[in-house]
Amino acid sequence: METIDATAMELLANGIMKASAFLGAGICMGIGALGPGVGEGFVGGKACEGIARSPENQSLIMRTMLVGQAVSESTGIYSLVIALLLIFATG
Amino acid sequence: MAKGKGGMLRIFIVFLIIEVALVILSGNFSRQIQVVNEEGQFELTHAPVHFDLQAKISEEFQHDKYVADEGHPLEIYGSEGLYNFFAKLSEKFTIFGDPTPIGTFRLLRMLLIVDLVLLTIGFLVFRALKTRPSQPQILFELLYSMFDGFVEESLGKKLIKFTPYVFTIFLFLIVCNMIGMIPIPGFMEPTRNLNVPLGLGLMVVFVVHVTAIAVKGPVGYLKDYMTPLMPLDVIGEAAKGVSIAFRLFGNILGGAIIILVVSSLVKFVLLPIGLNLFFGMFVGAVQAFVFTMLALSYISVAISD
Repeated sequence: METIDATAMELLANGIMKASAFLGAGICMGIGALGPGVGEGFVGGKACEGIARSPENQSLIMRTMLVGQAVSESTGIYSLVIALLLIFATG
Repeated sequence: MAKGKGGMLRIFIVFLIIEVALVILSGNFSRQIQVVNEEGQFELTHAPVHFDLQAKISEEFQHDKYVADEGHPLEIYGSEGLYNFFAKLSEKFTIFGDPTPIGTFRLLRMLLIVDLVLLTIGFLVFRALKTRPSQPQILFELLYSMFDGFVEESLGKKLIKFTPYVFTIFLFLIVCNMIGMIPIPGFMEPTRNLNVPLGLGLMVVFVVHVTAIAVKGPVGYLKDYMTPLMPLDVIGEAAKGVSIAFRLFGNILGGAIIILVVSSLVKFVLLPIGLNLFFGMFVGAVQAFVFTMLALSYISVAISD
């Protein structure tokens, strides 16, 4: 068996860590964006229905829709934060 | 209404012109005019662009450091030069300071600038109060009465005294989120640092619980937690503050990083202005609004039986 010296070993470890961090960031963002997409679309569609049914309540519905979308967006934002940490804060 | 829209459009156009002028001034076109000495001609040459995206973004995650290396020569061209100009201009003011701080120092400076902006606006509007209101007074009265309506809707007439708190949060956050659009290097949104949103979130949690105790009385307050699921309830209460903090922080930081990445791709020409309009004005305003609305709804949930 060949012996690997310490610096090469360290480089290899660094490379593996970086690669796995990038991979993890991609997977994190990809899966994390699924939920908010479905949720926000659902909220927006329901708000459209609501406005079509009662146009006089438009401002109230818009406000509630924005807050609801922001709430359902938060999981996506968490995954974004995790992905950014993975990319920029690890090695 | 039409007049209001025209005014808004005018503001946008002025903003666009100022930003284009600043982009050109700061030399981010990666081209510069050079005087060729022998023939006395002007020549356009490619300026070497020192822009390291990775380093720029990693700045967000750096530890606090007070950078004041004296031997480093000042840049003249590029955005660094613009910053140096402003730094020299404002050397006498302690707020703006001379060195390029990183981390908490930069954050504190930006917070102070935001406070100054708010105080100035408040002073100017307050000084000109009239029974026949001027336009800024109309704007602020409209906003205030809007929030008055929200508070009355969700908390009831008795707790109308919460309007100043909620409105202050809104104004502070909207100025915080929009101040990053000013293209002076060293300017950042204070909400881009996790400490500010987390502090605001903890304040919201504190206000929620104090209000609940004040409205229900200590016994009634504790009775709410006397359920078999008490640990989960406590965790949920703590998660409220963390969740609104991370929502704001993630939105602003994500927007800033997207602007940086796209800017470096298109060499700082034109597109960042549109991105700034979207991430600065739209997302900033929506997130400030959402933060205040969520704080309100947390309070209204806590005081309801």
